[in-house]
Amino acid sequence: MLVRIGLIAEGGYPYVSGDARLWCDRLVRGLGQHEFDIYALSRNERQEDEGWVPLPPQVSRVRTAPLWAAEDDGVVYGRRVRRRFAEYYGELVAALCAGGATGASGASGVAGASEDASATEADRFGNALYGLAELARDEGGLVGALRSEAAVRALERACRAPGALRTAREARVPDLLAVAAHLERALRPLSLDWYEDDGLGSVDLCHATSGGAAALPGLLAHHFCGVPLLLTEYGVRLRTHYLAAPEASAAVRSLLAALHGRLAAETYARAALITPGNGHARRWQERCGADRAKLRTVYPGMDASPFAEVGEAPEGSDPDSLVWVGRIEPAKDIVSLLHAFAEVRKEEPKTRLRIVGAPSGAEGAAYLGHCRALAAQLFPDEAEGPHTVGDNPVSFEEIGGPEIPTLADAYASGAVAVLSSVVEGFPIGLVEAMFSGRATVSTDVGAVVEVIGGTGLVVPPRNPRALAEACVALLRDPERRARLGAAARARALELFTVEQNVAAFHGIYLEIVSRTPVRRLALDEAGDPLPFAVPAEAHVPGRWTERTARLVARGGPARPPGAPVRATALPAAEGAL
Amino acid sequence: MSSGLGGLDRPGAPTSPGTWDERSEPTTGPRSTPTRRTGADPVKALMHRHRDLCERAVDPLEIAAGLEAHGISDRTASRFLHRDVFSLAEEMYARVSRGAEAAPGPAPLATPRARADWILLTLLPGVLCAAAVTALHLTHGQSRLIAAASGALAVTLALRAALSRGPLAPTDRRHPTTARVSWLVGYALLGDGLLRAAATGGPDALPTGAAEGPWPLTTAPVLALTLSCVPAAWCAHLLAVRARRKLSSSRALAEFATSAKPLLLGAFTLYLCALAALLAIATTALDQPSTYPQTLTLGALLFLCRLLTSHGFTHAPVLVLTAAASAEATALAALFAARLPGCAWLATPVQALIDTGGQAAIPTIACGTAALTLLLHATRTLTRASAHATQNQP
Repeated sequence: MLVRIGLIAEGGYPYVSGDARLWCDRLVRGLGQHEFDIYALSRNERQEDEGWVPLPPQVSRVRTAPLWAAEDDGVVYGRRVRRRFAEYYGELVAALCAGGATGASGASGVAGASEDASATEADRFGNALYGLAELARDEGGLVGALRSEAAVRALERACRAPGALRTAREARVPDLLAVAAHLERALRPLSLDWYEDDGLGSVDLCHATSGGAAALPGLLAHHFCGVPLLLTEYGVRLRTHYLAAPEASAAVRSLLAALHGRLAAETYARAALITPGNGHARRWQERCGADRAKLRTVYPGMDASPFAEVGEAPEGSDPDSLVWVGRIEPAKDIVSLLHAFAEVRKEEPKTRLRIVGAPSGAEGAAYLGHCRALAAQLFPDEAEGPHTVGDNPVSFEEIGGPEIPTLADAYASGAVAVLSSVVEGFPIGLVEAMFSGRATVSTDVGAVVEVIGGTGLVVPPRNPRALAEACVALLRDPERRARLGAAARARALELFTVEQNVAAFHGIYLEIVSRTPVRRLALDEAGDPLPFAVPAEAHVPGRWTERTARLVARGGPARPPGAPVRATALPAAEGAL
Repeated sequence: MSSGLGGLDRPGAPTSPGTWDERSEPTTGPRSTPTRRTGADPVKALMHRHRDLCERAVDPLEIAAGLEAHGISDRTASRFLHRDVFSLAEEMYARVSRGAEAAPGPAPLATPRARADWILLTLLPGVLCAAAVTALHLTHGQSRLIAAASGALAVTLALRAALSRGPLAPTDRRHPTTARVSWLVGYALLGDGLLRAAATGGPDALPTGAAEGPWPLTTAPVLALTLSCVPAAWCAHLLAVRARRKLSSSRALAEFATSAKPLLLGAFTLYLCALAALLAIATTALDQPSTYPQTLTLGALLFLCRLLTSHGFTHAPVLVLTAAASAEATALAALFAARLPGCAWLATPVQALIDTGGQAAIPTIACGTAALTLLLHATRTLTRASAHATQNQP
């Protein structure tokens, strides 16, 4: 059956420089039997100027909104609306000042009373959020009000109220202003005009490609139009927030943490299904209040075809070389790798190490320089005989050079692929090594253990000696290497291909639509209910219903008189490609 | 997968020899420091190692995220007798002593700096205006007309440039006030003469550009006003800087409002004093009659408008400027309309005002009322914390 999917992305898909653009593009192209409406929030002006990627025909419309520039909409509220705003905003910040959603819930075994209190606060937060959204929809905007003195005053009152967080009570005026500004930014999706019947109200399900700002439109579509929400998080937004927390006072940080925690909890509670990208994200989501029954891990899909040749013929490699592939940055802990390699050289003096990758940013470049210096210090240049020119056993190379034209060649050049990171989300390099049929040694970080299963060696992070011993064990045993490599390739082909990713989402879409269908009332030209407008055949593949049938969501917002919205007709894609 | 791989080794973590054992995490080879005798309370040692993180954290999840970023996984957490990183982080969060934590004073907000570009630009209108006035004095006839036109153009452009940046730059350009301001300034230049002429049955000729004659040009107020761009910018800058300081040091919004009010009034008074001094110099130099009341009220009005606009309050200035400009226009129009047969009564109130207070009464009352209204408005809006916050948002 045809499902109309509202894909919501923040700083992502249709933009050329988007984050998860590749994944979304594969998903949309892979599911040609469905129809996609894309709702994109752009992150900055540059991103908008760079334009979109070419869109396949199943994308029927694209609506975009800037998150970076919300100019004052000039909406002036009347007295009653102002009071309503102050009430909702006060409730919202009071829920924040009462602490984060995650502090008291979850597996910590807190007594029932406090869980009840936490649930009440979560309820309060949700109600206030939807109240503000309704107000924004009724009045046409919220930006001016969120920037007003009334908002700051409500925030101050909430911070000084009894029962507020200790850190919130210490908030000073600059902190209040900073929090109000952050709130204004975070709540910008509330002012969008996407929640009408011809917007997100007309889709069968919302798919938010990340938590945070992208999930907010999905939440509101669920609230206004009853559209089920699917949330995909390859990296948990809340965790990213903690790691990227700005330098600010404790009051600001605790209130913002509470905001993001509450928002995440509300999203998890309202979502029909949540698909974490790996077990690590899954544990965070469970911890933040996601119901275990709603979680379906969907591994990211990667294109296996470039590695096919290398993976099928694993013997071609230099048996004495280790290879590391990735972006060079401090989190990859190449220093530890070099120390481990020094230990390896004590056991196996002929071994070489190829470090393949480009530095990321200025910090990465500095780190690369540091690593080069360390390598030169640890390993003197070596020559084969007294008359040849020497060479360092550690080589730093970049993909695209004469020796390593492609990524697959990088993996092909080594017998063992090494991953030495201290921080890692989903280890893409490791999956590529698995596709290439290499035996791997990796550190136990992020989703590594889950990805590798039993098909490679895993050592603790920041332990060069263990890394060295594992590498030596593999270097000395070619047969084990071959076995591990073949098993790794088989595992990767089963779990981490694009096809499995697309198939998994296809199944999830159908599951959501079958369990929580959006009930719509079909209307005829006169606006009366039309019986049998959606025949049983509508549920078989293809398009059987008449294209001009007029549908509105039941229980959704009051439709504008005389002009019911076409739900199934295809509006032309908005904007130029 | 499992069927074909039954014979495979399972090199997960623990089986491979020597790769995973008790010394794994604590001893990282020869680099490790000798203080790893963790003894009975390994969590304490861990907390010591991550004390910055623990002291900074606002909730357990922040510690969990930080620990993971330092490479501590659930497996490592099990060595601290915890099921996962979250419960380890919870213990660490609970054990951090927060009572004694002396919260460091908040970093003072960045204050706007005086920059050479706007300082120089604010000098420009005054200098050009002085040059134009000099040219008017030195020329006659046709060339005087040309000098007046080019002088007016140059001063307008300079004013536009001076007010487009620095502390007086508007945050929102949607409500242009140029026409209203031009009218008010134009009235200051020509209005008194026209009013006198209209009251006595004139004007019989166009202004000649001279300070004497039937329709005189009063250049001293305009010269003083353009020169006062410099003190206006400095006063606004002073207000912004002091308000930022107060902002970073105040704890409550009401406290800020109380302390911002004297700042605002101080800046306003300072500007008026500077304008009065400049006007005194200008009238003496040009040897023109003194025009203190109407110029000071007009200056106050324009300064307050600019101050409000630069803080994002555009609505009230537009309204008040319109009111003042139309009041002046009405007075003039009433005098001319009174010449129509049977409409002589129209001029009565204006004539009464002129009789009691001279020609200066009209602009003084119009601008004075407007300025007073704006001053009251400003003491309410510009003392809000949110009015001074927009400047620190990128």
